[in-house]
Amino acid sequence: MKPDDFEHKLQRQPLKAIPAEWRGEILTAADEVGTARRAVRGRLGEASLPNWFSTLNAQLSTLLWPHPKAWAGLAAIWILILAVNFSMRDQSQVLAEKSSPPSPEVIVELRQQQRLLAELIGPRDTSDADRSKPLVPPPRSERAEMVAV
Amino acid sequence: MCGLDLERLYDEHAEALYAFLLNLTRDEADTRDLLQDIFVKLARAPDLLASARDERAFLIRLAHNAAIDLIRRRGTRAKTRDQFAAEIISPFAPASDPDEQTFRATLAEALAELPADQRAVVHLKLWEGLTFEQIADALDIPLNTAASRYRYGLDKLRERLRPLYEEL
Repeated sequence: MKPDDFEHKLQRQPLKAIPAEWRGEILTAADEVGTARRAVRGRLGEASLPNWFSTLNAQLSTLLWPHPKAWAGLAAIWILILAVNFSMRDQSQVLAEKSSPPSPEVIVELRQQQRLLAELIGPRDTSDADRSKPLVPPPRSERAEMVAV
Repeated sequence: MCGLDLERLYDEHAEALYAFLLNLTRDEADTRDLLQDIFVKLARAPDLLASARDERAFLIRLAHNAAIDLIRRRGTRAKTRDQFAAEIISPFAPASDPDEQTFRATLAEALAELPADQRAVVHLKLWEGLTFEQIADALDIPLNTAASRYRYGLDKLRERLRPLYEEL
Protein backbone atom coordinates (compact mmCIF):
# COMPACT_ATOMS: atom_id res chain seq x y z
CA MET A 1 0.00 0.00 0.00
CA LYS A 2 1.53 3.30 -1.06
CA PRO A 3 1.16 6.10 1.47
CA ASP A 4 0.02 8.47 -1.26
CA ASP A 5 -2.81 6.19 -2.27
CA PHE A 6 -4.02 5.98 1.27
CA GLU A 7 -3.88 9.75 1.68
CA HIS A 8 -5.74 10.23 -1.59
CA LYS A 9 -8.36 7.74 -0.47
CA LEU A 10 -8.90 9.73 2.73
CA GLN A 11 -8.95 13.04 0.87
CA ARG A 12 -11.73 11.76 -1.36
CA GLN A 13 -14.08 11.20 1.58
CA PRO A 14 -16.65 13.98 1.36
CA LEU A 15 -17.27 16.00 4.50
CA LYS A 16 -20.72 16.62 5.91
CA ALA A 17 -22.37 19.84 4.70
CA ILE A 18 -23.24 22.57 7.13
CA PRO A 19 -26.99 22.70 7.90
CA ALA A 20 -28.53 25.40 5.71
CA GLU A 21 -30.67 26.87 8.48
CA TRP A 22 -27.59 27.79 10.52
CA ARG A 23 -26.68 30.57 8.11
CA GLY A 24 -29.65 32.74 8.99
CA GLU A 25 -29.47 32.00 12.70
CA ILE A 26 -25.75 32.65 13.06
CA LEU A 27 -25.72 35.77 10.90
CA THR A 28 -28.75 37.17 12.71
CA ALA A 29 -27.07 36.63 16.08
CA ALA A 30 -23.86 38.24 14.83
CA ASP A 31 -25.76 41.13 13.27
CA GLU A 32 -27.62 41.83 16.50
CA VAL A 33 -24.32 42.05 18.37
CA GLY A 34 -22.86 44.29 15.66
CA THR A 35 -25.89 46.59 15.71
CA ALA A 36 -25.82 46.85 19.50
CA ARG A 37 -22.11 47.61 19.39
CA ARG A 38 -22.60 50.37 16.81
CA ALA A 39 -25.47 51.84 18.81
CA VAL A 40 -23.38 51.94 21.99
CA ARG A 41 -20.42 53.47 20.14
CA GLY A 42 -22.69 56.02 18.48
CA ARG A 43 -24.20 57.05 21.79
CA LEU A 44 -20.79 57.28 23.42
CA GLY A 45 -19.42 59.29 20.49
CA GLU A 46 -22.34 61.73 20.46
CA ALA A 47 -22.24 62.18 24.18
CA SER A 48 -18.52 62.47 24.74
CA LEU A 49 -17.43 64.95 22.04
CA PRO A 50 -19.96 67.74 22.76
CA ASN A 51 -19.34 67.28 26.47
CA TRP A 52 -15.64 67.80 25.99
CA PHE A 53 -16.09 70.90 23.85
CA SER A 54 -18.78 72.40 26.10
CA THR A 55 -16.58 71.90 29.16
CA LEU A 56 -13.63 73.63 27.49
CA ASN A 57 -15.87 76.46 26.24
CA ALA A 58 -17.45 76.97 29.64
CA GLN A 59 -14.10 77.12 31.39
CA LEU A 60 -12.65 79.59 28.88
CA SER A 61 -15.78 81.76 29.09
CA THR A 62 -15.56 81.82 32.86
CA LEU A 63 -11.95 82.90 32.62
CA LEU A 64 -12.32 85.55 29.91
CA TRP A 65 -15.87 86.78 30.35
CA PRO A 66 -15.32 89.54 33.03
CA HIS A 67 -13.05 91.72 30.80
CA PRO A 68 -12.74 90.25 27.32
CA LYS A 69 -11.42 93.55 25.84
CA ALA A 70 -8.72 93.79 28.51
CA TRP A 71 -7.58 90.22 27.75
CA ALA A 72 -7.54 90.98 24.04
CA GLY A 73 -5.52 94.16 24.62
CA LEU A 74 -3.02 92.30 26.79
CA ALA A 75 -2.63 89.62 24.14
CA ALA A 76 -2.07 92.32 21.48
CA ILE A 77 0.62 94.01 23.58
CA TRP A 78 2.42 90.69 24.05
CA ILE A 79 2.29 90.03 20.32
CA LEU A 80 3.73 93.52 19.65
CA ILE A 81 6.54 92.99 22.15
CA LEU A 82 7.43 89.65 20.60
CA ALA A 83 7.35 91.14 17.11
CA VAL A 84 9.67 94.01 18.08
CA ASN A 85 11.99 91.62 19.87
CA PHE A 86 12.25 89.35 16.87
CA SER A 87 12.79 92.21 14.44
CA MET A 88 15.60 93.74 16.56
CA ARG A 89 17.35 90.44 17.03
CA ASP A 90 17.23 89.82 13.32
CA GLN A 91 18.74 93.25 12.52
CA SER A 92 21.68 92.86 14.95
CA GLN A 93 22.45 89.46 13.49
CA VAL A 94 22.37 90.87 9.97
CA LEU A 95 24.65 93.80 10.92
CA ALA A 96 27.15 91.51 12.58
CA GLU A 97 27.20 89.28 9.56
CA LYS A 98 27.53 92.17 7.14
CA SER A 99 30.35 94.08 8.95
CA SER A 100 33.84 93.33 7.62
CA PRO A 101 36.80 92.52 9.94
CA PRO A 102 39.00 95.57 10.94
CA SER A 103 41.95 96.33 8.72
CA PRO A 104 45.61 96.04 10.04
CA GLU A 105 45.94 99.86 10.00
CA VAL A 106 42.97 100.24 12.31
CA ILE A 107 44.41 97.63 14.67
CA VAL A 108 47.79 99.43 14.76
CA GLU A 109 46.02 102.75 15.42
CA LEU A 110 44.05 101.22 18.29
CA ARG A 111 47.22 99.80 19.89
CA GLN A 112 48.95 103.20 19.67
CA GLN A 113 46.00 104.84 21.36
CA GLN A 114 46.10 102.21 24.13
CA ARG A 115 49.82 102.85 24.67
CA LEU A 116 49.31 106.62 24.85
CA LEU A 117 46.51 106.16 27.33
CA ALA A 118 48.76 103.97 29.48
CA GLU A 119 51.56 106.62 29.45
CA LEU A 120 49.13 109.38 30.40
CA ILE A 121 47.64 107.41 33.30
CA GLY A 122 51.05 106.14 34.47
CA PRO A 123 51.96 102.74 35.97
CA ARG A 124 49.53 101.29 38.52
CA ASP A 125 51.11 101.46 41.97
CA THR A 126 49.89 98.72 44.18
CA SER A 127 50.70 98.66 47.90
CA ASP A 128 52.64 95.83 49.52
CA ALA A 129 49.63 94.85 51.54
CA ASP A 130 47.54 94.42 48.38
CA ARG A 131 50.11 92.22 46.75
CA SER A 132 49.30 88.59 47.09
CA LYS A 133 51.99 86.57 48.76
CA PRO A 134 53.53 83.73 46.82
CA LEU A 135 52.28 80.34 47.89
CA VAL A 136 55.74 78.88 48.30
CA PRO A 137 56.04 76.79 51.49
CA PRO A 138 58.82 77.89 53.89
CA PRO A 139 61.86 75.67 54.39
CA ARG A 140 61.45 72.70 56.73
CA SER A 141 63.82 74.22 59.37
CA GLU A 142 61.71 77.42 59.61
CA ARG A 143 58.51 75.37 59.92
CA ALA A 144 60.03 73.51 62.91
CA GLU A 145 60.85 76.86 64.61
CA MET A 146 57.34 78.12 64.05
CA VAL A 147 55.90 75.02 65.75
CA ALA A 148 58.32 75.44 68.72
CA VAL A 149 57.24 79.09 69.23
CA MET B 1 -22.87 45.06 8.53
CA CYS B 2 -20.41 47.04 10.68
CA GLY B 3 -17.84 47.45 7.88
CA LEU B 4 -17.21 43.71 7.85
CA ASP B 5 -19.06 41.59 5.33
CA LEU B 6 -20.12 38.77 7.60
CA GLU B 7 -22.32 37.21 4.93
CA ARG B 8 -19.38 36.89 2.56
CA LEU B 9 -17.20 35.51 5.35
CA TYR B 10 -19.87 32.98 6.21
CA ASP B 11 -20.36 31.89 2.62
CA GLU B 12 -16.64 31.51 2.02
CA HIS B 13 -15.51 29.91 5.26
CA ALA B 14 -18.40 28.50 7.31
CA GLU B 15 -18.48 25.16 5.50
CA ALA B 16 -14.80 24.50 6.20
CA LEU B 17 -15.02 25.76 9.76
CA TYR B 18 -18.06 23.55 10.36
CA ALA B 19 -16.25 20.40 9.21
CA PHE B 20 -13.14 21.29 11.19
CA LEU B 21 -15.09 22.05 14.36
CA LEU B 22 -17.27 18.96 13.99
CA ASN B 23 -14.16 16.80 13.60
CA LEU B 24 -12.72 18.29 16.77
CA THR B 25 -15.81 18.45 18.99
CA ARG B 26 -17.81 15.52 17.56
CA ASP B 27 -20.94 17.31 18.67
CA GLU B 28 -23.36 19.19 16.40
CA ALA B 29 -24.65 21.50 19.15
CA ASP B 30 -21.13 22.41 20.31
CA THR B 31 -20.08 23.00 16.72
CA ARG B 32 -23.00 25.34 16.16
CA ASP B 33 -22.27 27.25 19.36
CA LEU B 34 -18.60 27.63 18.50
CA LEU B 35 -19.34 28.72 14.95
CA GLN B 36 -21.81 31.30 16.22
CA ASP B 37 -19.28 32.48 18.82
CA ILE B 38 -16.73 33.06 16.06
CA PHE B 39 -19.10 35.19 13.99
CA VAL B 40 -20.34 37.09 17.04
CA LYS B 41 -16.73 37.78 17.95
CA LEU B 42 -16.08 39.11 14.45
CA ALA B 43 -19.19 41.32 14.63
CA ARG B 44 -18.13 42.65 18.00
CA ALA B 45 -14.55 43.37 16.92
CA PRO B 46 -14.48 43.88 13.13
CA ASP B 47 -10.84 45.00 13.31
CA LEU B 48 -9.81 41.47 14.27
CA LEU B 49 -9.54 40.47 10.63
CA ALA B 50 -7.88 43.68 9.51
CA SER B 51 -4.39 42.54 10.43
CA ALA B 52 -4.85 38.95 9.23
CA ARG B 53 -2.76 37.98 6.22
CA ASP B 54 -4.95 35.01 5.41
CA GLU B 55 -8.63 35.07 6.40
CA ARG B 56 -9.03 31.31 6.32
CA ALA B 57 -5.94 30.69 8.43
CA PHE B 58 -7.06 33.32 10.92
CA LEU B 59 -10.56 31.85 11.20
CA ILE B 60 -9.16 28.34 11.56
CA ARG B 61 -7.00 29.56 14.39
CA LEU B 62 -10.04 31.13 16.08
CA ALA B 63 -12.00 27.91 15.59
CA HIS B 64 -9.15 25.73 16.85
CA ASN B 65 -8.63 27.82 19.98
CA ALA B 66 -12.36 27.83 20.69
CA ALA B 67 -12.61 24.06 20.21
CA ILE B 68 -9.59 23.33 22.40
CA ASP B 69 -11.04 25.59 25.12
CA LEU B 70 -14.33 23.72 24.89
CA ILE B 71 -12.66 20.31 25.00
CA ARG B 72 -10.72 21.36 28.12
CA ARG B 73 -13.88 22.74 29.73
CA ARG B 74 -15.78 19.56 29.04
CA GLY B 75 -13.10 17.64 30.94
CA THR B 76 -13.27 14.08 32.10
CA ARG B 77 -17.08 13.98 32.38
CA ALA B 78 -17.41 14.51 28.66
CA LYS B 79 -14.58 12.09 27.92
CA THR B 80 -16.43 9.40 29.81
CA ARG B 81 -19.62 10.29 27.97
CA ASP B 82 -17.78 10.10 24.65
CA GLN B 83 -16.29 6.73 25.49
CA PHE B 84 -19.70 5.26 26.16
CA ALA B 85 -21.51 7.03 23.38
CA ALA B 86 -23.46 4.56 21.27
CA GLU B 87 -22.96 6.54 18.08
CA ILE B 88 -19.93 8.54 17.03
CA ILE B 89 -20.84 11.75 15.24
CA SER B 90 -19.17 11.48 11.87
CA PRO B 91 -17.79 14.52 10.06
CA PHE B 92 -18.32 12.68 6.76
CA ALA B 93 -21.31 12.70 4.45
CA PRO B 94 -23.26 9.42 4.38
CA ALA B 95 -22.46 7.07 1.49
CA SER B 96 -24.91 5.02 -0.51
CA ASP B 97 -22.43 2.17 -1.00
CA PRO B 98 -22.35 -0.02 2.16
CA ASP B 99 -18.59 -0.64 1.90
CA GLU B 100 -17.89 3.04 1.56
CA GLN B 101 -20.23 3.74 4.46
CA THR B 102 -18.35 1.24 6.61
CA PHE B 103 -15.05 2.79 5.61
CA ARG B 104 -16.29 6.28 6.49
CA ALA B 105 -17.70 5.16 9.80
CA THR B 106 -14.44 3.42 10.69
CA LEU B 107 -12.47 6.43 9.57
CA ALA B 108 -14.65 8.64 11.79
CA GLU B 109 -13.98 6.32 14.74
CA ALA B 110 -10.27 6.23 14.02
CA LEU B 111 -10.14 10.01 13.81
CA ALA B 112 -12.05 10.28 17.09
CA GLU B 113 -9.36 8.15 18.74
CA LEU B 114 -6.60 10.55 17.72
CA PRO B 115 -5.55 13.25 20.15
CA ALA B 116 -7.19 16.58 19.26
CA ASP B 117 -3.84 18.12 18.24
CA GLN B 118 -3.12 15.34 15.73
CA ARG B 119 -6.71 15.32 14.53
CA ALA B 120 -6.60 19.04 13.80
CA VAL B 121 -3.42 18.73 11.73
CA VAL B 122 -4.68 15.65 9.87
CA HIS B 123 -7.96 17.39 9.08
CA LEU B 124 -6.31 20.56 7.81
CA LYS B 125 -3.81 18.63 5.69
CA LEU B 126 -6.21 16.12 4.18
CA TRP B 127 -9.51 17.99 3.87
CA GLU B 128 -8.41 21.61 3.76
CA GLY B 129 -5.39 20.92 1.59
CA LEU B 130 -3.16 23.23 3.62
CA THR B 131 0.61 22.95 3.53
CA PHE B 132 2.51 22.24 6.74
CA GLU B 133 3.62 25.86 6.74
CA GLN B 134 0.01 27.07 6.56
CA ILE B 135 -1.02 24.60 9.26
CA ALA B 136 1.82 25.72 11.49
CA ASP B 137 0.76 29.32 10.94
CA ALA B 138 -2.92 28.63 11.56
CA LEU B 139 -2.40 26.55 14.70
CA ASP B 140 0.56 28.62 15.93
CA ILE B 141 2.89 25.63 16.20
CA PRO B 142 6.36 24.95 14.75
CA LEU B 143 6.53 23.53 11.25
CA ASN B 144 8.22 20.32 12.41
CA THR B 145 5.54 19.80 15.04
CA ALA B 146 2.85 20.10 12.39
CA ALA B 147 4.65 17.58 10.18
CA SER B 148 5.26 15.10 12.98
CA ARG B 149 1.68 15.31 14.26
CA TYR B 150 0.47 14.58 10.77
CA ARG B 151 2.81 11.61 10.37
CA TYR B 152 1.83 10.08 13.73
CA GLY B 153 -1.86 10.66 13.06
CA LEU B 154 -1.72 9.23 9.57
CA ASP B 155 0.20 6.16 10.75
CA LYS B 156 -2.50 5.44 13.33
CA LEU B 157 -5.26 5.87 10.74
CA ARG B 158 -3.42 3.63 8.30
CA GLU B 159 -2.96 0.96 10.91
CA ARG B 160 -6.61 1.11 11.92
CA LEU B 161 -7.99 1.20 8.35
CA ARG B 162 -5.56 -1.16 6.65
CA PRO B 163 -7.92 -4.18 6.48
CA LEU B 164 -10.79 -2.13 5.10
CA TYR B 165 -8.59 -0.22 2.68
CA GLU B 166 -7.09 -3.42 1.28
CA GLU B 167 -10.57 -4.84 0.81
CA LEU B 168 -11.68 -1.77 -1.13
